[in-house]
Amino acid sequence: MHHFEDEASSIGDHLRKLREKRAAQDRSFSLRQVAARCEVTAAYLSRVERNEVAPPGEETLVKLAGELGEDPDVLLAMAGKISADLRAIILARPQLFADLIRSIKSMPDHAVLRIVRDVKDGEW
Amino acid sequence: MPTLEHDSLVFRFPQIEKQAKFSIQFQRTLRIPDSDKTYSLPPGLGLFPVRHAEDYVSKLPQATNDRGGVILPMWQSEAMWINFENEGPDWDLEFPVAIKIAAGKINAVTGEPWKNGLQGAPQDYVVSPNQPWLDGFAVEKGVIRQFVAMPLGEGYSVEEQLTGEAEWGGLQISVAPLKASVWNKKLEAWKQAQEERKKYFANESHLVAYSYSMCESRPMGLAAGGKMRQEIYPDPYNLEDWDFSAAERVFVTLVHAKDWLGITGEAALDVPPTASEYTKADLPWFEYYGKDQIALPGGEKFGNIKSVSSIFKKTTGANLPGSGDIAIGKPIAVGPGVKCDRPIQSSKSWE
Repeated sequence: MHHFEDEASSIGDHLRKLREKRAAQDRSFSLRQVAARCEVTAAYLSRVERNEVAPPGEETLVKLAGELGEDPDVLLAMAGKISADLRAIILARPQLFADLIRSIKSMPDHAVLRIVRDVKDGEW
Repeated sequence: MPTLEHDSLVFRFPQIEKQAKFSIQFQRTLRIPDSDKTYSLPPGLGLFPVRHAEDYVSKLPQATNDRGGVILPMWQSEAMWINFENEGPDWDLEFPVAIKIAAGKINAVTGEPWKNGLQGAPQDYVVSPNQPWLDGFAVEKGVIRQFVAMPLGEGYSVEEQLTGEAEWGGLQISVAPLKASVWNKKLEAWKQAQEERKKYFANESHLVAYSYSMCESRPMGLAAGGKMRQEIYPDPYNLEDWDFSAAERVFVTLVHAKDWLGITGEAALDVPPTASEYTKADLPWFEYYGKDQIALPGGEKFGNIKSVSSIFKKTTGANLPGSGDIAIGKPIAVGPGVKCDRPIQSSKSWE
């Protein structure tokens, strides 16, 4: 589970660390190659990693998450964003979800995971 | 118990490793021509949507409600591959799991009827991370016949061909983790290797020279489509290393894509492109290169299985649309031997 209170770094630092960790063992994680696979320029990705520009949009962040093995929701949250599907879910029942999130904000991870719905098994 | 997250089935075994999870995605793909020719890997075309069956109790048959699990929509004669995603406590330490996959309760690796637990001889499961995906029924060594959806009860599904019954359809999945004792040994060995690596890198003279050589409401059943090169890898662990008692399972009911809107209120999927349309758009095919692993033989029971197009021809006298052979260029190499993952093509690619 990702905990932001432990995270002193910005999204740029986080992306750079993730990429460099992979690049140490696999050269296809160079700035240029990762940028190409995520359909942005290497110059832009470099500026993102140095926190010189605002974080990328949702589409690029999701591509970067897939490329770097990070959870897209974690990157979106670090960028101060919320994914379009989560936004739609909350907007459909804003009061209910606001109350729910406030009520579980201090719960430990294992307790929160218990309220994630399991896939029900039956007779087969 | 497994959970459903972003259209993926997610299995966690926190009693053994809190930081690990294993996910299964159902990928839309091209139906490869169903002929004597053996094809390379087609691309993924995006994920099938997956929903909890229990959310649509009033719209689903009683049998589906009794089985629980999840539902996903497929068009008739649409193909699928099943992707395995393994996330361990560190990015280079995966958490091994044994996965058993059946279609219509026929084991996709051996052709045997579904049995609980794992069997070692013949091996009736695959192991992640060694096996990156499964595209179909393992009909012979190094060759699978693609998973292709057909309406249950019309004689196409492998289940009907092998049992004479159209009872189950869908997919059945069971995932077992390593026993805690086996995992802890693996974890310790990895931690030691990490320590040694840190010491090695503390000496900066190694940095330049260092590089890895790895370039790393109509039930549907699954029938056997065209032939594809794909190896099923043997278990690198011992059968007794797996914790059967911790295994989790899911029944995946396949519903006709035409019925999806009526059941869930969500728009039906686009019809996927044909292999011919995709190839005409100059889009690539792929070839997987593993890490010199030997492959298991195919399931003996699959020896007499008829493919979708041969049954279609016999029943209707016509050729199944999209079953003619096509010429594909040199496939792009993917896999741990060559660094890249099997890519997903966006719909923009072929429109």
